[in-house]
Amino acid sequence: MIKISGLTKTYPSGAKAVDRLDLSVEEGEILALLGPNGAGKSTTIRVLTTLAGFDDGQVTVAGHDIDRDPDAVRRSIGYVAQETGVDYFLTGRENLVLQGRLYRMNRADIDARVTELASYFTLTEHLDQLVSSYSGGMRRKLDIATALIHRPKVLFLDEPTLGLDTQSRQSLWQYIRKLNDELRLTILLTTHYLEEADRLSHRVAIIANGQIKVIGTAEALKDAIQGDAVTVEFEHNDDKSHWLAQQLRAEDYVRDLTWENNKLHLYVTNGAAAVPRVMEKATTANVRVKNIAFARPTLDDIFIKHTGASIQGSKETTGGAWWEKWAGKGGGKWAKQWQDSESKDTHVSSTMQPGEITPSATLNPNQTWPAPTESKDAPKEPRTELPSATSTTWPSDQWDPESVKKWQSQWPEQGGNWPKDSQWQTSSESPAALADPQPKPATQKAESWPSDPSDSKTGQTWPSQAPERGSEQTKDSPSAEPTQANNLAETHAPAGEESEKSAWPSDQWDPESTKKWQSQWPDKGGDWPKGQQ
Amino acid sequence: MFADTWYLFNKYLTITLRMPLWSLFSLVQPLLWLFIFGALFENFAQVPGFPAPSYIDYFLPGVVIMTVLFGSSWAGVSLLREISSGTVDKMLVAPVSRSSIVLSRVLHSAVQVVAQAVIVLIAAWLMGAHTSWNPINIAQAMFIVLLLGIAFASLSNGLAIILQREEPLVIMGNMMTLPLMFFSSSMVPASFMPPWLHYAAMANPIEYAVTSVRAVLVTPAPAESSYLLGMAVTAAFAGVTLAWAISAFKTLRS
Repeated sequence: MIKISGLTKTYPSGAKAVDRLDLSVEEGEILALLGPNGAGKSTTIRVLTTLAGFDDGQVTVAGHDIDRDPDAVRRSIGYVAQETGVDYFLTGRENLVLQGRLYRMNRADIDARVTELASYFTLTEHLDQLVSSYSGGMRRKLDIATALIHRPKVLFLDEPTLGLDTQSRQSLWQYIRKLNDELRLTILLTTHYLEEADRLSHRVAIIANGQIKVIGTAEALKDAIQGDAVTVEFEHNDDKSHWLAQQLRAEDYVRDLTWENNKLHLYVTNGAAAVPRVMEKATTANVRVKNIAFARPTLDDIFIKHTGASIQGSKETTGGAWWEKWAGKGGGKWAKQWQDSESKDTHVSSTMQPGEITPSATLNPNQTWPAPTESKDAPKEPRTELPSATSTTWPSDQWDPESVKKWQSQWPEQGGNWPKDSQWQTSSESPAALADPQPKPATQKAESWPSDPSDSKTGQTWPSQAPERGSEQTKDSPSAEPTQANNLAETHAPAGEESEKSAWPSDQWDPESTKKWQSQWPDKGGDWPKGQQ
Repeated sequence: MFADTWYLFNKYLTITLRMPLWSLFSLVQPLLWLFIFGALFENFAQVPGFPAPSYIDYFLPGVVIMTVLFGSSWAGVSLLREISSGTVDKMLVAPVSRSSIVLSRVLHSAVQVVAQAVIVLIAAWLMGAHTSWNPINIAQAMFIVLLLGIAFASLSNGLAIILQREEPLVIMGNMMTLPLMFFSSSMVPASFMPPWLHYAAMANPIEYAVTSVRAVLVTPAPAESSYLLGMAVTAAFAGVTLAWAISAFKTLRS
């Protein structure tokens, strides 16, 4: 019914819109031209419907050559464009009648046909309303009806369900299938929806860069991939997932694999058997898998296989960015291959064989990845006990014992000359005195804060206590001192010493010091805050 | 081709009759000019040698021609809209003659302009113009209006196909109408013009259209007007522009 051979059309800029395209459509079949935007689908359709000219090739539609007898071609085809071509300010009926007139049908025939089409597309009650009041789906149906009024042999649909909601889309598919079944109408449709090509058409032709890459029934194309597609979606697209991909490549059940953003597509012999093994590998490697699924390969997989790019177009950017990071600086033969394929017009790398792994899924073959060690965000064991006194790990948010000791050594009581030569000299008050507003002679013990180191019985909490205890042990072993940390808990560590409390949360006041502090209150006999300035 | 033209013409007519507001909208400007300039130059008619009894009698044919200019010069805009909405594609896919697509549009615009001219005529009469109400005279005048309407609608449609965008088309339309108006004897008699302007007017098809309308509508007819000459020039002008527009349209098949 349609025969195209060697069709070539060049843009004024020199780029080829259609490049030696060959296609043949049988009578009574629905063929879907599947491709991304800019692949040449609309141009091909425009040439077939005599709306556009072409530079080279031969086109025959319904037995008529387009160059020699365009009017005969026009009489046997119907065309539904991407934008609905019905006139908004006429009624549905007027649109249909006008089309019939333009096709030189007589009035009676037109009237009968209008009624027939209206009932076929369930537009009868809206027929005499202005098209501006129709919904999008109704306008689409009216557009198809106007293309069918003269009983064409071939119907061309350019993106028929573009912009329709799911329900309208399903219903439109039903109509298209009905037309094909009942009237044996040959339908050529263009689409970039995989589902549409899959479910609606008998055969699918994948078009990219102005050429037909592959043509066949959807089932046959999917069978060519041989097996199931397992899709693993990772949390992060990082070294670990790439290491895992490399490991999986070496597995015997994995035939092929491709990356797409942070999804890894594996083509395996048996999906059900592969999934647990993949998960096992992932768990061992401690790689976070967000989602794993397996299914029969979809048309998108076929698309990727034959054109090197997903129809959503996301694969390329990931591979490139990843390459720049890892292999850009002389990354070996894979980087060169990638650059070669980038510089060519088509996205298909000519050095790749079907089934061969694409560069973005593999690494520099000379580089090996170390087995992943425990990562920072590996779940820690819950803390059930506080570090013991002999704990060697120092919590980073607490004072280093050395610096504390140094600081404490400056205290007058310890023999240092702080705060004598500090800014508080003027007030002749040490922080201890300030904290305890009652002026005391320096010789007097500072009672509340920081605690008097010489007071060893009260079990003061704040670090000054520690060296005292630590100093006891320092005599024994200097190395043991850092372990006598300022960790408050450790001062009450279950060393079996005075305190009845074994584990004291470090961020709370020690009851002893609190008691001491409270003892200073007037009502308890102390003279604070009376002496407070 | 004629059948196609007739059906498409009917389509445009139906749409216009459904929304008459747009046609009335484009009447505002000529009526405004008639009113304002008629009042402004009232006393101009008392200058000795003025070829008509009152200014408004003299100016009326000018306004009628102005109606054509303002009415038909935007005819291409709707063509651009139809191209972008895919309606023209629908016509091109059918075995419709390419010329009839252009011809139907141009005829529709011309007929629309004739209706507007009749309204302007009535308005001028209400303002006191002594126009001849002889139906033959009116028909003759309207024939000139029709031819000129075809000419300017063709120009506009052709420009629309070449320019492919509304903004340059509107600018071109503006550039055409006013200079053409002033380089003719629509407002000022030719004997009152400086010589160089007179020569420029002789190359202007508007000048011939105005004088021929003046010859039939204004009584007594001014000496320097002739109907037949005007008709011939305007018809030639229409023919040339129409052929140009049709050939421009045929290049639409990219």
